[in-house]
Amino acid sequence: MALPVSLRTSVIPQELELVACEQLVEIVPLVAMERTAFISGAYGPLRPPSKCKVPIWMAANLKMKKKCHIVPPEWLNVEYLQDRLTRETTEPQFSEMPFRFAEIAKVLLDVASDDFQNSDRLRSLLKDIREARQAKSREGLSKLDHSDLNLPNLCAIEINEIRPFFVRAMGVLTQLTKDPAGQQMTY
Amino acid sequence: MGDEYYDIEAILAENQKVQCTFKVDVPDMGHLAGGEDRDIKATSKLQIPMWMAYILIYSDYADFNIPHPFSSRVRNALNAEARSVKLTSLVGQGGMCLNDDPAVEMSNVLVKTFRARLTEIIDQAQHFASIGASTAGNSGDQGMAFREGLDGTERELFALAQWSVKMMKRWHESSETSKR
Repeated sequence: MALPVSLRTSVIPQELELVACEQLVEIVPLVAMERTAFISGAYGPLRPPSKCKVPIWMAANLKMKKKCHIVPPEWLNVEYLQDRLTRETTEPQFSEMPFRFAEIAKVLLDVASDDFQNSDRLRSLLKDIREARQAKSREGLSKLDHSDLNLPNLCAIEINEIRPFFVRAMGVLTQLTKDPAGQQMTY
Repeated sequence: MGDEYYDIEAILAENQKVQCTFKVDVPDMGHLAGGEDRDIKATSKLQIPMWMAYILIYSDYADFNIPHPFSSRVRNALNAEARSVKLTSLVGQGGMCLNDDPAVEMSNVLVKTFRARLTEIIDQAQHFASIGASTAGNSGDQGMAFREGLDGTERELFALAQWSVKMMKRWHESSETSKR
């Protein structure tokens, strides 16, 4: 395989961001556009000022050219994130978050921070949520087993972050626990 | 079956030498001792690699002493505080354990040790994600001592964790506007 070794074990966050940007987001277009066919599908028509759902990559592009306003997704606001943060800090298991929340939030806050009421507060809430979840996955590490691992509600970027480490650690544990049970010498 | 035969780590681990005491005379095998003797005499002590020692012991031609990394002294140290034991000096390549009764206890100790050191590895990796080269002038003494005492496999894990964290940091700090 022509990939460098480091890329064979895991996907990089930029790739996850690309995948996440296929999701649809609502925009208020400022220009008109006919229903156009793209590789991933046909979107439009854009008729200002009525809202339209387009992929995030397209919304980001339009926004950078100042041709639309982005409507924040229903989970990207202070009340929702605050509620999730309190749940995250009080409960031992991971709280439910949209699967690709980290990537979507990063892209939207980057290009369209003026479309949100308090983007700084949102950024700090997201950071706190991420850190709380990281602490939980660290605790789960001490209970690591060689056979199975069950971490419900973990999100795409978090899975990707811990995957190479956890898989290798579980491999070592498998070697250590299986050895005495079965004979390994092949003579 | 085929996998284990070719497994590099198993080959390297089995190559580790074990102190054996021969119980019988073995003619013409004196070269194993590295000396000038033609034969091996009974009750002579030799360093034999594990793969050979295994057969000799099970055919009852020799006895062996448990190698130092698996001695009870090391085991007690591991039980007390797994993270402060320097594994690099003890086990060259990540020793495989022996396949009889003490092995079960040995594997329990190894598993416990591994788990205890795992959280420490990942903490250190996240802490040092931003530092590219391995020089860390302002790290605490204890952190440095732990990292120097890491076993080969643990170093691999450390590198993996460090890489993941570095990727994440880089992604978070990059921004859309800078790309266009």
